[in-house]
Amino acid sequence: MSTYSLNINGKTTTVDVAPDTPLLWVLRDALGLVGTKFGCGKALCGACTVHLNDNAVRSCSIPISAVSGGKITTIEGLSADGNHPLQVAWVQEDVPQCGYCQAGQIMSAAALLKQKSNPTDDDIDAAMSGNLCRCGTYTRIRKAIHTAAELQTGTRGAKKGAKK
Amino acid sequence: MKRREFIHVTAAAGGALMLGFTLTAQDKNTKKTFDLNAYLKISTDGTVTILAKNPEIGQGVKTSMPMIVAEELEVDWKTVKVEQSEIDRKKYGAQFAGGSTSIPTNFDTLRKAGATAREMLIIAAVQTWNADKTITVEKKDCYAELGFVVHRPTKKKLGYGELVEAASKLKAPDNPPLKDPKDYKILNTWQAGVDNQDLVTGKPLFGLDVRVPGMLFASIARAPRFGAKVVSVNDTRAKAVPGVKHVVTIEPSENPTELIGGVAVVADSTWAAMKGRNALEITWSDGSDKNESTESIRKAFQDLTSKPAKVLRQQGNVDEVFASSKKVLEATYEVPFLAHVTMEPMNYTAHVTKDKCELWGPTQVPQSVQDLAARMTGLQPSAIKVNMARIGGGFGRRLMADYAAEAIFVAKAVQAPVQIVWTREDDVQHDFYRPAGMYKLKAALNDKGNVEAWHIRAATTSRESFRNPDRPAYTTEVFPDGFPSGFTPHFRMEYATPKSNVPRGAWRAPGHNATAFVDQSFTDELAVAAGKDPLQFRLETLGAPREMPYRDHGGDYSVGRLTNVLKLVADKARWNERNKWLPKGHFLGIAAHVTFGTYIAEVAEVSIESGGKIKIHKVTAVVDCGQVVNKSGAANQIEGGIVDGLSMALYGKITIAGGAVQQSSFDDYPLLRMNEAPKIDVHFVESTEAPQGLGEMSLPPVAAAVGNAIFAATGKRLRTLPLALGDAAN
Repeated sequence: MSTYSLNINGKTTTVDVAPDTPLLWVLRDALGLVGTKFGCGKALCGACTVHLNDNAVRSCSIPISAVSGGKITTIEGLSADGNHPLQVAWVQEDVPQCGYCQAGQIMSAAALLKQKSNPTDDDIDAAMSGNLCRCGTYTRIRKAIHTAAELQTGTRGAKKGAKK
Repeated sequence: MKRREFIHVTAAAGGALMLGFTLTAQDKNTKKTFDLNAYLKISTDGTVTILAKNPEIGQGVKTSMPMIVAEELEVDWKTVKVEQSEIDRKKYGAQFAGGSTSIPTNFDTLRKAGATAREMLIIAAVQTWNADKTITVEKKDCYAELGFVVHRPTKKKLGYGELVEAASKLKAPDNPPLKDPKDYKILNTWQAGVDNQDLVTGKPLFGLDVRVPGMLFASIARAPRFGAKVVSVNDTRAKAVPGVKHVVTIEPSENPTELIGGVAVVADSTWAAMKGRNALEITWSDGSDKNESTESIRKAFQDLTSKPAKVLRQQGNVDEVFASSKKVLEATYEVPFLAHVTMEPMNYTAHVTKDKCELWGPTQVPQSVQDLAARMTGLQPSAIKVNMARIGGGFGRRLMADYAAEAIFVAKAVQAPVQIVWTREDDVQHDFYRPAGMYKLKAALNDKGNVEAWHIRAATTSRESFRNPDRPAYTTEVFPDGFPSGFTPHFRMEYATPKSNVPRGAWRAPGHNATAFVDQSFTDELAVAAGKDPLQFRLETLGAPREMPYRDHGGDYSVGRLTNVLKLVADKARWNERNKWLPKGHFLGIAAHVTFGTYIAEVAEVSIESGGKIKIHKVTAVVDCGQVVNKSGAANQIEGGIVDGLSMALYGKITIAGGAVQQSSFDDYPLLRMNEAPKIDVHFVESTEAPQGLGEMSLPPVAAAVGNAIFAATGKRLRTLPLALGDAAN
């Protein structure tokens, strides 16, 4: 076991884990941040996506020993009160079905919006094709990313009628 | 500190809704909460909480079922709180997710629950006003609206919070009036899922998110071949992994859907458990059949379909017609095993002590899990508490409780709370697979180009013969009353099943997910042979509106509603004008099917790219499910089922070699991804018919619609799933 100092969601935390422990299991088991999901353990499905220095990465395939010093953001830290434009858009467009993959989807989309504030469909294909949705909510994910881009740049107000 | 008291008062006899109230008291000023029945509670501050009783697997019932209660209760849906109910057979009857039955089987009960409470609140208001003695109020002059009872003549209002205590003391009316669908304010509107905000902020909703003080995590090494048993275990290296606490050998149970056996490594973290599991050295027995393979199963199908099999339905004499007909077509269709691959891998958490058992996790059958736990622990069902988690996908996989059995077994063995976590490889290799099958078809067209005779002889690895040999093997494999049975003067259906050790189970729209592909593709072949447009040929074959007897899940169906969705989808997808507007290289295919009482027709727009890659541009669907409960949730189910159907049509394939599954994860068992997802255009038929389910219905016609479009594009008829052309076909 080794001690690692981590910067997660703006806070510095220390964990004592085996050096080969994937970041995913450090988040989930050592730190109780269970919003980041386990899907395959091989970086094939994207359910475990978090940000490392603002880039979308698959936390299941990064050992904790390779993370030290980096700035990590998880779904729990994406916004202070759950109102990131993507979170607003996801609720408004009613994207989720089972919802299990959606945290990973949102983290991939958030990294995309940081790089491209108004992504095209091709940009969305390129950024989002590493995230599987077994329920098949892709058309709504695409729509929600466009909506979030509009919310972010203020090109239109929040749509009415999509509540709860 | 809060003091909670639970007081239940049974006020109505003989199976009527139980009345009671839950008193939450802190001091004199604390709000109180009263249960008006099993489905709703109202606090004195006016807060309305509706309980969702069935497992939420992504089919949307945690939102749609409470909407039905809220409609009759007359409350503002935006202000309603929704909670998952406890598991309680006496209170709720069946609580499960399967067969797309939650809405059709609970619609009336949920309406009545809302209406009963509304009537009690109105009576309480009348009594409150009349107790004042300044006016005389009659019930007929009062109505409920947005959480208030209103006295029409005086416009006086009382809030539900002010009335609930008095209402809770009233007898529940037996037959409360139900609303006319034209007055609905919540049903048939677009409402987002009640858990959305928690989902997008990463709140712990799922079974895998359950954390219990002192809990341990387990990873289980399971047999490398079906039926193989542990001969010996060397756990020295596993126990040397830091964090590993126990190694437990699990004996397989006699029932193949319960414990499949294996060796569990229990540790203080998931990662340590997985590492420990990988360090096990296990010797396994040969298993059920080391030689079983996709080829051996296929050979069995060929043998069974080349000779007469059990006749399930027969009309007229197909053989005589074939002998005398000029136009006879024959074709053989095949479908492979499929895995479920829910995004949330199998997991379950159990804590078993001497006198009680507490369980947490994803299951479509919480009441069966309770029974299973009672059997495994020797405790009374009342000592077993099943906590429902939101479920990261079901698709039929979580109708099986094998992983819950593992958690109970291991937790009992180590006397600590244990969470069993499956890897994706465990999931792909130890599923209960969609049965594989072969379908031999023969049909004759008469001089007018109409279907005169249809013969189908099917062989599939029946799921009933695997899990429930007492039931007829063909159940949920083929449907003797399904299309085209009843639409052709001469018809015969035969069925046979080979022995197989591959575990089989329910997979989204069981049976229909294969038969709709077979029937709707072969129908297209007949249309081509008859020289008719595929839509026109279907409409002619179906004929005039009438009721068609159907002795299976969903019951008799309406031919008129089926032809209606076909006509509407043709209209929405501009089928008849397709040669005028379709881009060069794009082609359309059409298919329709009835699944469990819901009618759906789909048109796929397809092109063939270089190397024979099949590209899906758009799918248009028209659905008749009777009344729609939640427009958003309903459309989401149709969209999702179409994407799932495309994964099945283009990729889904589990193969067997050496008595084991060859695939292991999303690299060799791919699903459709964002860059391949087509535009999807969904329309619902406006209807006042009873509402039907939607979770499974859009999947069955997809593969046929795509295959029929591929035929239009290439002249090549693809009769084997997954559909493949060019490089991929080799």
